[in-house]
Amino acid sequence: MITEPHIPDPDGFYAAWISAHEGLTEAQSADFNARLVLLLANQCGDQAVLLDCIAAASQSGAAPEPQRQSPA
Amino acid sequence: METYKFAPAYELPSWPFVPPPELGSTAVVRHPIVIVGAGPAGLTLACDLARRGVRAVLLDEDDTVGVRGASSRGICYAQKSLEIFARLGIYERVAQKGITWSFGRTFSDQQEVYNFNLKTDSVSVQPPFINLQQFYIEWFLVDRILELGLTDLRWKNRVTEVTPLPDGVRVEVETPAGRYTIEADHLIDATGANSPIRTQLGIDAHPSRSTDRWCISDVRFKKPLPTERWTWVDAPFNEGRAVWQHLMGDGVWRIDYQMPEDCDTAHISQPEVAGARLREQLGPDVEFEFVWIGPYGYRDHLLDDFRHGRILFIGDAAHVVSPFGARGGNSGIQDAANLGWKLALVAQGLAADALLDTYDAERRPAAVENLRVTSRSARFLAPRTPAEHTMRRAVVALASRHAFARALVNTGRMSVANAYPAAPHLPEGGVTVQNLPLRWRDGTPATLMELLADGTQCLGLWFAPTRAQATAAADEVASLPLRLLAVGGDSGLPTLQPDEALARHLGHPAPGSLCLVRPDAYRATLLSDPTPASISAAVHTALAHR
Repeated sequence: MITEPHIPDPDGFYAAWISAHEGLTEAQSADFNARLVLLLANQCGDQAVLLDCIAAASQSGAAPEPQRQSPA
Repeated sequence: METYKFAPAYELPSWPFVPPPELGSTAVVRHPIVIVGAGPAGLTLACDLARRGVRAVLLDEDDTVGVRGASSRGICYAQKSLEIFARLGIYERVAQKGITWSFGRTFSDQQEVYNFNLKTDSVSVQPPFINLQQFYIEWFLVDRILELGLTDLRWKNRVTEVTPLPDGVRVEVETPAGRYTIEADHLIDATGANSPIRTQLGIDAHPSRSTDRWCISDVRFKKPLPTERWTWVDAPFNEGRAVWQHLMGDGVWRIDYQMPEDCDTAHISQPEVAGARLREQLGPDVEFEFVWIGPYGYRDHLLDDFRHGRILFIGDAAHVVSPFGARGGNSGIQDAANLGWKLALVAQGLAADALLDTYDAERRPAAVENLRVTSRSARFLAPRTPAEHTMRRAVVALASRHAFARALVNTGRMSVANAYPAAPHLPEGGVTVQNLPLRWRDGTPATLMELLADGTQCLGLWFAPTRAQATAAADEVASLPLRLLAVGGDSGLPTLQPDEALARHLGHPAPGSLCLVRPDAYRATLLSDPTPASISAAVHTALAHR
C-alpha cells in the first residue's frame, strides 16, 4: 500500500471530489462514494493492497491521530 | 378476485415394510456397514457401495421418497454429482427426466447485469447442471439399489438410539413389528439437518439461523421462457426484493421469492397471495397452476469433526449451508462418493482404518468452503444495514455499465467439485477429473466413469509408456487396487487413444508421465518419471497406508 504522496494534484483531486457531491443528498453522496470506491478498487487490482487499504481506513477512523488534538 | 388451482398431487412410490430377520431374536447380529437415512446422501452411498460389490444395511424411518410428498427441496444437480450418477447407472434417467442447463442471467429491476455460461470450462460428457425434483433422484437411486441387489434396504426402521463401542456401534431400531438391536462396524449418519443421532450424542453443530425469509412457488404455466437460471437482485414484480426462476422436470418452474424479514409466513404462502405475486410476474393472460407453495428460512451448521470413532456424518447431518448456488444436496452426494470407495476398501481389507480419516480431511474443508461461499451470497442478497444497501446499490449501478462490477453481483456461486487441500495422503492436494469422453486404440468409445465403474480401483493413466516400463510395473502393482492404462504408445497395456482434451485437462503431462486418478475421479498425483516402486508408493500414499 502506498502511503507516501502519490496524487499528482492533491488540491485539484479534492476539489473535483467535493464538487461531484454538490447538490447531492446525504444518501446520494453515500451512493456516489461507494461507486467511486469500486471504480478505484478496480484500478488498483491488487488484492493485498485492497485489504491493506480497508484495514488502514478502519484504523484511521478508530483512533484519533495525536497531532490533530493540538492545533498547529 | 382471481382463484388459483393446484395440480393433482404426485403419486410417489412406496416400498413395503419387511420384518427384519433380527426381530424377535436375542442374538445381536453385526453388520459391516449400516447407513441411517435414505435421502440423497444415504442412497448415493448405498448405491456406490453396491456398485463396488459391497453390502450395506440402509435404515429409513419412512417408506417413500421426498420428505413432504412432492414438496420442494433440492433441484439443481451439478456436473460432479451427475458424473457420480453416471458411474452408478442412473444418469440416463436423470437426463431424460430433468432439464439440462448451463446459462444463468442476473437482473436488477428490468436490466440484465450479469450472466455466466458454465459450459465454457467443461470437458465432461455430463452438462454443468441438470434440474430435477429431488424425489426423482431418490426414486431412481432406490430403483438402482434394488436392481443391484446388495443393499438390505429397510423401510419403516427408525433408529432410536446409538451406542458407540470400542470397535463398532450398537444400534437400537424401532419398527411397526417391534424393536430390535444390531451392531455395525461402521455407522453412517445420513439423517439430515435435524439428525437425531447427532443430538443424542450431544455433538454441537454450531447452528446459526438467518432472518431472511423466502417463499417457494412451484408452478406450471404455458409461457415460453428459455431454460436458463434467472435471478433478480431486486425484482420489480416482488417489491424490489430478490427472485429466482428455474425450470425443473415435468414442466414445473421453481420460482422463489424473497420476502420481508418480518413477514407472516402463513399469510405470504396462501394461494391467493402467492397467486397475486405470480400474476404480476407473468402478466394478465398466462394460465398457471400451482404444484407446491411453501415458505422457508435458511440456516447453516457445521460439525467440528465429520468422524466420531466408528460413526461418520455425511450430507446435511454434517453440514448445512444456505441454498444459494446449489451447494447443499450436491455436497451430500459428493460426501457419499468420497466415502464410498474408502469404506469399500476398508471393508474388503484392502485399506486400513486411517483411510476413513481422509474423509474428514477432505470433505470438511469442502464444507467450510461451501459455507464461506454461500454466506457471502446470502449477505449480498440480504444486506444487514443501510450502509450494506448503499454498497450493493453501487455494485448494481456500475454493473449495468462496466464489466468489472458484474463480477461483484452475487446471487449464488454455483456448486463446484471442491478441490481438496494438500495432506500426507494427498501431497499435491486433489482436484476433480471430469468425465472425459475417450476412445480405446481400436476406436471403441469409453468414458472415465466407465473406466471407474467396476470394482474399486485407482486408474494409472500412463502417457506413452515403453513396453519395458509397463512390463516391469505390472508385476509390482498386481496386488494393489490399481488399473494401469496407457494413453498412446505401444506398451502392451490396454491403450487409449491420445486425446487433446484429456492432455489439456491433466495439464499436458509429458510423455512417460503417469497420472494417478482415485476411484472418486480425483487426481491424486502426477508422476513425471514413474518407476514400479514410485507407482506403488503413490498408491500406498493415496490409500493412507502409513
